[in-house]
Amino acid sequence: MSFFGFDTTLPGDRPGGNRGIFETPDPFAEVARAQLDARHDDDDDDAIDFEDTYDGLGDQLDDDQDAFNDDTFGGGGGGGGGDSAPVGKDFDFFGRTAQVSDVIGEEQVRYSLQHPQAVAGTSAVAAAPVAAATATATASMQKARRTGYEKYSDPDFIPDLQAKSSVWGYTQKHPAVVEPVAPAPAPAAQAIMTMQQARKMMSLEEVEAQLRNQVQRPQMAPPAVSRAPEFPQQLQRPPQMPVLPDGFPQLPPAELLRLEQQYQQQQAQFANSGLPSKQMMHHQPQMMPEPHSMHAHVPPAASMHAMPAQNAPQQVAQPPRGTQQPQHAARGSNGALPMITNPQQLMNLTEKQRVAYLVEDAKRAKRNHKIFLLSKGNGLMTPQDKNFITRIQLQQLVAAAGNMGDSDPEAILSEDFYYQVYSQIRGAPRQHPHQPLGHFAQTYLFQTGNRPSSHGGRRQFQSADNHMQRMQQQVQRAVEAAKAKPKNKQLIIEGSLGKISFSNAKAPKAILNIKRPDSADGIKPVHKKPHTELSVSDRKSILTNVENVYDALMMMEDMERTMPPPPEENDPEAIQRHLEWRQKIQALNQKLWQALKVMEPIVPGATTPHPFIAFLSYPKGKKAIPRIFRHIDQEQRVTILTMIVVHLDALDVVRRAHPVPGEVQPPPAVREAIELFSQAVMPSLLGYVNEAPFNIIIGLLGLVIAQTQVQVVAKTRIGLGILTMLLSRAEIVKEAGQAAERDWQQWVDKFNVLFDTLEPILADIFPGAINAGDDMYVWQFLAAIGIGASPEQQQRLVIAVKDRVMETVAYSKTLPADMSSQRLGNVNLFMRAIGLDVELLG
Amino acid sequence: MLFFSFFKTLTNQVVTIELKNDIRIRGVLKSVDQYLNIKLDEVDVLDLDKYPHLSSVKNMFIRGSVVRYVVLPRSEVDVGLLEDATRREAANQVSKAR
Repeated sequence: MSFFGFDTTLPGDRPGGNRGIFETPDPFAEVARAQLDARHDDDDDDAIDFEDTYDGLGDQLDDDQDAFNDDTFGGGGGGGGGDSAPVGKDFDFFGRTAQVSDVIGEEQVRYSLQHPQAVAGTSAVAAAPVAAATATATASMQKARRTGYEKYSDPDFIPDLQAKSSVWGYTQKHPAVVEPVAPAPAPAAQAIMTMQQARKMMSLEEVEAQLRNQVQRPQMAPPAVSRAPEFPQQLQRPPQMPVLPDGFPQLPPAELLRLEQQYQQQQAQFANSGLPSKQMMHHQPQMMPEPHSMHAHVPPAASMHAMPAQNAPQQVAQPPRGTQQPQHAARGSNGALPMITNPQQLMNLTEKQRVAYLVEDAKRAKRNHKIFLLSKGNGLMTPQDKNFITRIQLQQLVAAAGNMGDSDPEAILSEDFYYQVYSQIRGAPRQHPHQPLGHFAQTYLFQTGNRPSSHGGRRQFQSADNHMQRMQQQVQRAVEAAKAKPKNKQLIIEGSLGKISFSNAKAPKAILNIKRPDSADGIKPVHKKPHTELSVSDRKSILTNVENVYDALMMMEDMERTMPPPPEENDPEAIQRHLEWRQKIQALNQKLWQALKVMEPIVPGATTPHPFIAFLSYPKGKKAIPRIFRHIDQEQRVTILTMIVVHLDALDVVRRAHPVPGEVQPPPAVREAIELFSQAVMPSLLGYVNEAPFNIIIGLLGLVIAQTQVQVVAKTRIGLGILTMLLSRAEIVKEAGQAAERDWQQWVDKFNVLFDTLEPILADIFPGAINAGDDMYVWQFLAAIGIGASPEQQQRLVIAVKDRVMETVAYSKTLPADMSSQRLGNVNLFMRAIGLDVELLG
Repeated sequence: MLFFSFFKTLTNQVVTIELKNDIRIRGVLKSVDQYLNIKLDEVDVLDLDKYPHLSSVKNMFIRGSVVRYVVLPRSEVDVGLLEDATRREAANQVSKAR
């Protein structure tokens, strides 16, 4: 029946226990009485003598007769029943106490409500009885040191709770929880009951508090009862409260709420008029939730929360209510200002301080009001409800689980490839490629929730981060749930003509549903076949070839990612896996090789370029080379290099690189292509050549001489670059002494042929005029050829390029220092190769 | 999903969006969803003279279906990667259709 398994029936509800708690003999009545006596007899005596207060009830106790144990401990049978169930070891002290404490609080309220006249009368002089109890201080100081317990020392003081609407909401809405004594005593009986009940109202804590109160008079209540002040402060509102008509308590809750707010406004006005009390303000946060609790349907277990003020002293074990925090915060925020506990103190402040204080107070009131307004919706949704809603919202995002490749990284990569890789490359939000499930959601959430703008501030970011974490968890749960439940794509409600189709992020609802031709064997091939046969090297088929290469490349790259770890010797399964993988990658390699069409036969004198050269003529093709080189073996690399060298003068970057007569430079598109080639293709080739055996270099140089028009090739940047590559490699091999004598002789022969061929045009290999731009690659080439040349050849070389050297030196003198030194450095590259230096030229 | 994936990488970049009613808006792309709805911040309407009613708009949410063009910051696009992503997307489409 109850949430925590407590027995929620109140003592009075039990059969035979049809009595209110205050109708049982009150063991502390004597305390109150003694106190009262003490006050009447001797106003100066502010301590309570134990002998006076102890009524000797303990002596009267008869251990054999536990007649009222049931009332005390809430046992099953009720006081009158006699046949109470035995109290076990698992007796729930707190639960029982809490029940009774509810009742105590209710009784107090109920009582005070039954005596509104008394309140009206006493409220005006509320402070006076307090003064009576504390004779050591002046009346004003008394007021200043209100601790919240004063009213208990005055039997005539009846707390005024009229505006405390929660009480009304509570008692009206939950009559079952309220002490069943509730039937109001007849008006005639009220007067008699007033004294009696007031006396009986003292609880143990209250008495204790009072005792402490009188001994030490601190501003703050001692820690032991630190929670207690909340309660009395609440009750001290009346003095400032306009006296309400007797009929007030019967107002409907809504009206009470209105009055409550009105009251708050009045408080604010008081504050502005310079008559505030901090206590007034302080208790506001507690008031806030009360109207709310009045409207909410409080489950039985929550009923303890519904009466926070009354229960506060007893509910020590309960977690603090949320609304207490604003109160503490308000206190804390006030740190710079002196603690003010009474209006008098406020008067003593300087004008400035007071203004600051009042402003602070007004702010607090406003803030509290806001909290109150916001709190209206509190608790309307359970955590489960919220989860449910979140799941619905997120399902749209993560519903990939329904149709596509679930949660494995492959699916994510295929669906979100660009983003995933891009963020890896550009160092976007950190990646967890091995936690794919959270990954998608994670990065996505990070995206949407993130506020990278620096003015966002740290605090905000942190809180957002926290929030993100929670969201991430929720998303993960949501994904699990979505996966668990296969998604229908359509819903056809029985008896209806239409159908409802669902969509998700990955497969949005199709507005048009076009049926594709059933297969590829349809009309298309008829169209296509003659076309493809017509032109092997037309643009379209070349581009198709390029795409095929890329497809193969991407498959290889995908394959590479799934490479199993290197197998251990004694793990046959891993070895097997590795072997299989190698086979697959080998197959893909073959596919790539086929797609490259490097091995297509070279048709001498053909009008169409070789497919591979055509492939290289497109930027896409050029860009693919570095990636291809990673996936092919040395033999395939040398084949590609050979193919390029053989077709050197057919390469677009060589063929079209000659400027049109009258122009200094080739057209921009060609320059771009050359740039791209030297950035994408050349490094790959160079990388191979640097490791190539000498005989291959010799062979390649032979090919250049035999197969290409060297003079044409040498006038281009790419051509010269390749020649430089070969020459410098040969020089390195020679330096390292790796060249066999016979090989070297072969090389020298080839070199001589090349030198003789190039000698006449050496002056023309420079790109245009002296100021036409970068000629570094030419000097590099000259250096490469010079270093390998015989002394006689070197002399011829110097004669051939002497003019250019002098020109450059002269020109560099007109340039700014850094450019000048760069140009001279280029020249010096060559000069040093033949054992000279620019410095020698003066 | 390619476009979604692509636009996600452009968050917090300045883009210019041309709507189908010819309004051009420059702003910081805050977020984009799978419908290519766009959230713009620090909005700057080009040809403001023509659309004075937009002069006080600081941020906006644009429904994806009303966008004609998005002018991208070139430096933020990885062309090679985008090409590959496009190839993958095409391959996905083909495999889905079958």
